Amino acid sequence: MTVIARRLAGHLARGFVMILVVATISFFIVNNIPGDPVAARYEKLVEGGMSPEAAMQATKVMYGFLPSGSMGEQYVDYMSGLLRFDLGVSVTRPGTPVLDVLTDAAKWTVLPVLLGTLLSFLVGVILGVYAAIKRTGKLGDALAISGSLLHGIPQYVLAMLLVVIFATLIPILPHDGPVDILFEPGFNAGYLGSLAEHAVLPVATYALSAYGGWILAMKSSVVTVLGDDFILAAELRGMKRSIIFRYIARNAILPLFTILALSLGLLLGGAVFIEKIFNYPGLGLLLIDSITLRDYALMGGAFLLITVSVIVANIVADLFYTVIDPRVRSGEEAS
Amino acid sequence: MAKQAPGVRIDGLTVVYKTPAGELPAVRDVSMELAAGTITGIVGESGSGKSTLAFSLLNAVQPPGRISAGSVEIDDLGNVVSFQGEQLRKARGAHIGYVFQAAQNSLNPLKTVGKQLLDLGRSHGVEDLRGLVREAKELLGRMGLDGARVLDSHQHELSGGMRQRVGIMLALVLNAHLVVLDEPTTALDMITQATILRIIREVHAERGLTTMIITHDIGVVAEVADRLAVMYGGRIVEQGPTREVLADPQHPYTRGLIRAIPRLTGDINQAQALPGRPPTLTTVPKEGCVFRERCSLRMDVCDTVDPEAIPHGDRIIACHAVKVKEHA
Repeated sequence: MTVIARRLAGHLARGFVMILVVATISFFIVNNIPGDPVAARYEKLVEGGMSPEAAMQATKVMYGFLPSGSMGEQYVDYMSGLLRFDLGVSVTRPGTPVLDVLTDAAKWTVLPVLLGTLLSFLVGVILGVYAAIKRTGKLGDALAISGSLLHGIPQYVLAMLLVVIFATLIPILPHDGPVDILFEPGFNAGYLGSLAEHAVLPVATYALSAYGGWILAMKSSVVTVLGDDFILAAELRGMKRSIIFRYIARNAILPLFTILALSLGLLLGGAVFIEKIFNYPGLGLLLIDSITLRDYALMGGAFLLITVSVIVANIVADLFYTVIDPRVRSGEEAS
Repeated sequence: MAKQAPGVRIDGLTVVYKTPAGELPAVRDVSMELAAGTITGIVGESGSGKSTLAFSLLNAVQPPGRISAGSVEIDDLGNVVSFQGEQLRKARGAHIGYVFQAAQNSLNPLKTVGKQLLDLGRSHGVEDLRGLVREAKELLGRMGLDGARVLDSHQHELSGGMRQRVGIMLALVLNAHLVVLDEPTTALDMITQATILRIIREVHAERGLTTMIITHDIGVVAEVADRLAVMYGGRIVEQGPTREVLADPQHPYTRGLIRAIPRLTGDINQAQALPGRPPTLTTVPKEGCVFRERCSLRMDVCDTVDPEAIPHGDRIIACHAVKVKEHA
């Protein structure tokens, strides 16, 4: 247990430094992107025929502030805010803290992507084992081909295909927005049912597009383990099939947890195309919007959120390995 | 079931491997007997078919290979070549122990030795798992290891010599009395080799086993084996009591092998390498003697007729030249 505690402490320290570095870099990059929303607004008003003074005034009223002070002052202010979990105020949505905007969008991203990822992981891994064991037969071929095919289709094509099939040709599922506005938000059957119904297609898209990768990865991992001496040894010792199957599965799934942790870390980045197609107000859309609108604070906040989630996912993955892989636990390289 | 060293009779065993060029024999028409309670050494170069022969004893030839003819009769058990499914699985481990090379990872890297021991016990319906653990500890202790510590270790925490002893323990713990050791000392340092050989000899005697050792190292065989069989190109070319064969090799291949061993004393050049290369599955001659390409005693008959294995006293030799000499 102390090993895990020590590892955790080390990871947290390193993770903190990494977050700091990323925050700094993203602050300076974001601040040096050409174009300025306040100036852009101002110019738009002038173009619209307003006098420069009036336009300046209107802009000020709209945003509540004009960016002032040197870059250094802004940086210190931003970083000290970060330490208090204050990511600043959104420029394009005056008065709304960035953190609120982000958490609001996150709920539309995290659940569908998480569900889709876990679903595809589960199905892909199980079928991957069969694809490996039956790799010389028709079933194995079919599974591997299904994996390659789905892996090769771009997410947005898959999304549109699903929309065409299940919303246009056979209109049984909604594809527009995360929930029906008819229902009162809250814990009532109608609202939750509508949520679930709206989530089917996005989740299916996430799951189908990720499934190919899982099945192919698991198949090759299982094939590798099948060739390992200890499997033959277990057979020659007369071990039961079920036990050997567990040996294979547990050894083969190990490398996949790294990929799983990393993809879970990236899930907060959202999937822009899918969110766009299904009109889900998630983080992916938010990030793109904030970039188009030059909403510095929101951009910085979104970048930071993605960074933090990747770092946290890495830490979780590593700690997880110390639990499931004895070779990592003792800090020795397996021969 | 009576638990004592079983005798083993291998008769006309042929193992073929499926290749693009058709099914080619890796072991061809091998007959030999492992007398109960003896240690038999199988010597041969890489590709001579010795490991395939070892797998055949457990009816465990790996695809694309298969036993195409012959039988392996084990006392109290039957012809394992005819075994299938559960019957075969239960014979492995419980009646026939198999020990891998130390360099091969024969243990699940994610589980402790102890847990794998319990898996083994459950696989074979052992009810007294405590007794099994006790037996394992005793065996490990017998081999000079701290049983409790080893059972609590993962594979990567064990040295090559320790792994080999764990392998021997797992092969014996279910009370198997026929043990096959595949290259038991390969990839171990000299001191550990000597220790492992001593352990094999002692455990063999104490538990009353019938043992088969596969090796390319004549030194190993000389050290432990009662009988010796020399394999070449899937055939047993000569077999007999170890001492006799080593002192007075008859088959030209056996002679070449022994002449190739460098001595501790004297000129290093006295050791003469056998010219040529051993045949592979695809280059082994389809008819005639498998060794003729490298043989100094080659005759016309060797090109067309496969020499039969003929008893010469305690020895069985498959060579036209030896036959001619005897009859002359």
